[in-house]
Amino acid sequence: MSQRFQITRAAELESLQVFRDFIAECCARHAIPNEIVFDLKLAVDEACTNIIQHGYRGMDPGSIILALRFEPDRILVQITDFGHVFEPDDAPMPDVTAALEEREVGGLGLFLIYQTMDNIDYQASDDGNTLTFTKLYRA
Amino acid sequence: MEIQDRQVNGISVVQFFGSIDALTAPAVTEHLSGLITAGQTRLVVDLSGVDFTSSAGLRLLLVAVKETRSLGGDLRLAAVQPDVLKVLKISGFTNILKLFDDVNSAVASYG
Repeated sequence: MSQRFQITRAAELESLQVFRDFIAECCARHAIPNEIVFDLKLAVDEACTNIIQHGYRGMDPGSIILALRFEPDRILVQITDFGHVFEPDDAPMPDVTAALEEREVGGLGLFLIYQTMDNIDYQASDDGNTLTFTKLYRA
Repeated sequence: MEIQDRQVNGISVVQFFGSIDALTAPAVTEHLSGLITAGQTRLVVDLSGVDFTSSAGLRLLLVAVKETRSLGGDLRLAAVQPDVLKVLKISGFTNILKLFDDVNSAVASYG
């Protein structure tokens, strides 16, 4: 049996801490290990930051819906917004082996999402954009 | 975000408290820039009180490290917490920055 939790907040930077706290609270109810909780917080933070900083550019301020679903062997995270469509393939990946002089400042957010989540799905429609993360874990 | 400054053996030690994300990063950047502009180019950042960082934190550290090193100094990290350390490792930052278990070791590393 799975359990689902959801909150909606304005797409502004002040909501980032709210989302992180929400994840922590939901995970605490399911005794999720700390490392998993942190991975979820990080991936959600990176995704929401992108939406906040770019998603509603040139549009009226919007919202972000964060939903978590807990299943016996995985946690599903859904992040929904109603702004511009994001094309993950357009974002450059950083070279994490590069020396300091060559390291570029950008591209880290998406990279961290790929590193911490087991699966990433993105669906864009006229009704909104939904990013779904899957995080596997052993109870 | 709460920030505390102190001097240890002529090295500027700055301690941040809380989470470094896109909201709080500008304040951290501003503070570090202020120190560097004031001539404090050998810095130790005490992260014992930081429980979370996103790529926003990584970005500002990268910029600050580049800046201090270009001025003949450095920015070294002390007491990095496990979750933050994980992010630094994943992103390859542990190969770029110098990390120490505690502030005293970080200060001593400047010789």
